[in-house]
Amino acid sequence: MVWIVLPALLGIGLVLIQRLTKLSAVLGSLFPLVFSVLALVFSNGLTLNLLGRFFTLTDSLAIFGRAIQITADQLGIIALLYFLCFAWNLLSGLLKVGQWFNSLSLIITALWVSVQFINPFLYSAVVIELIAFISVPLLSPRGTPARSGVIRFLSMQTIAMPLILLSGWMVSGIETSPSAEAIIYRGALLVIAGFSLWAGIFPLHSWLPMLTEESHPWTISFLQTMMQIGLAIFFLKFLNQYAWLRNLEEIKLVLKWIGGLCIVSAGVIAAFQKKLSRVFGYFYLSGTGYVVLTMAFQQQGWIELLTLYLLPRALAYWSLGYALSLLREALDSEQLDFSELTGLIWRYPLTSVLLLCSLFNVTGMPLFSLFPSHRIIWSILASESLPIRLLISLGLIGMITLLLRTLGRVIQPPEEANEDKKERAIIVVPVVLIVLFMVLGGLIPQFFSAPLQNLLISFQNLLR
Amino acid sequence: MTEALQSLPVYLALLAALLNLVRRQWTLNLIALLVQFVCLFPVLLKIMPLQLAVIHPFTGLMVTLILYLTLVGVGGIKSINLRQSLTSGEIFRGLAGIFIIATLRASLPQFQQAVFPQVSSNHLFLSLGLIFVGLLQLGTIREPFYLAIGVLTFLSGFELLYSALEFSYLLEALFVAVNLLLAIVGAFFIVKNAESEPA
Repeated sequence: MVWIVLPALLGIGLVLIQRLTKLSAVLGSLFPLVFSVLALVFSNGLTLNLLGRFFTLTDSLAIFGRAIQITADQLGIIALLYFLCFAWNLLSGLLKVGQWFNSLSLIITALWVSVQFINPFLYSAVVIELIAFISVPLLSPRGTPARSGVIRFLSMQTIAMPLILLSGWMVSGIETSPSAEAIIYRGALLVIAGFSLWAGIFPLHSWLPMLTEESHPWTISFLQTMMQIGLAIFFLKFLNQYAWLRNLEEIKLVLKWIGGLCIVSAGVIAAFQKKLSRVFGYFYLSGTGYVVLTMAFQQQGWIELLTLYLLPRALAYWSLGYALSLLREALDSEQLDFSELTGLIWRYPLTSVLLLCSLFNVTGMPLFSLFPSHRIIWSILASESLPIRLLISLGLIGMITLLLRTLGRVIQPPEEANEDKKERAIIVVPVVLIVLFMVLGGLIPQFFSAPLQNLLISFQNLLR
Repeated sequence: MTEALQSLPVYLALLAALLNLVRRQWTLNLIALLVQFVCLFPVLLKIMPLQLAVIHPFTGLMVTLILYLTLVGVGGIKSINLRQSLTSGEIFRGLAGIFIIATLRASLPQFQQAVFPQVSSNHLFLSLGLIFVGLLQLGTIREPFYLAIGVLTFLSGFELLYSALEFSYLLEALFVAVNLLLAIVGAFFIVKNAESEPA
């Protein structure tokens, strides 16, 4: 009730005051922060001891004969999701995002929370479909015609949902008939196909760069980050719940190949892109690849590795989304063509520094917050088969090529000085803080991993 | 005779879905969409009580109404012209749709036996037919109105199939929410496109 119904109601309330943009942005930041803090405060058995008085929350909410059940050890997931919502709303007031952002982001977060806790959990597939529809005003604001990216996105999300629901029906009772190998393979195929469509796994990723090209970087970064983390945790739920899926030997191999193909396709295609807005989509594809790869290892400590990976990855998208949003406003360009980046550092030094640091970070370069987890993944890969290693290496080379191309463009002296537009002085604070966080996360990995160490503790079957 | 009568709503619904796939006349498409939703009612009535079977056609009615009112708002409702000759694209979509439905009919007994033995033949034919025609619609269009119709057709087929496998009030409520939201998204797209068209 506290983390699903109340935020959704407050989100609807924010719709009513969305024209008061400042107030909406303040409340849109405050509410998720409160819910995130509440999740941390109640993490001790859903009970809060305040000056000797105990406040206990009920752990389930009954809806239409089914239940949404939250236990104390799952509150970390809620805290993370609401913290991300807070982080995106915090800077939304400084950017020209649509007036729907604050309200819909809160509703979408509440729905992603419900996805993790609906019982039976397969019904969450329909909630993910609802999230896709609710995202439409953010992805395709009024004033522009509906473009192909959003249409393709909706089609893919719609096709994915039945696959997940059918997988559950198909394997019901499988635990009692372990010989039904054909059904297990069929069920696993449906689950993998469903998640591939949802997350835009290669080669079903075409909507991803189209969507990042068509939408505001700030809104798409929020939606995609929530989706990537939400789907990752939801997939863990499948692995945790279904022993047949977890114990299927082939699943690890399939996940490794999916991860490798995502990383190589993202890196190679991104290296040849002409628009930074489309590149953003390929960073998500690459990120999905790394998440899938982490899940494929399934050896001692892989859950901790995933935990270590999630928050720095979210910070990387957050900072890159912010940098691209600032660029979009500074250059007055939606596409962010590479030709427009020439001499950027001479015109917009702060934005350029943020952009470059964000690109270094999201690629996983040393000194930045994603490096520690990437380093572990790369070192585990050393013992993997040659084709997988080659795929990851090629993907990385592609991303480094893109990085160097961008760097070359940005530091190239401009042909003519343009003094018309200047950076806003106010952005110096967020830019310095973001860069500081990124470097701190790289130098002291515990900075991000310590608050999240118990995040995935509820997946007991995966921790064994 | 009785069997033919029982199959009538199945073929009528598939015909309506095919009409939506082929023709591009908004008024005609809305009527076909309504027919498609209403024809699901007798099929659903065989597996669930009246008060539950009525949910789906009623939701369909609401969905059609939302789309109709939006189209009226943007001046998209025009009289139906049945004499309009078929374009090459329409002929292609029509033939592709008929081919898919014919293939489905031919392979249905084997598929039913292997995967869905508990679902009746007519029920499975209609649900899979709607799913495939919906998919074909999604793959061949870019206009938002037809995207909405394609997704609605696909979802109708899936809801019909799933209702024969498992019933849950929560799932039913979620499906209703999805259908209504989809209609609102469709309406949003129609208005957006109308606004951004040059005067």
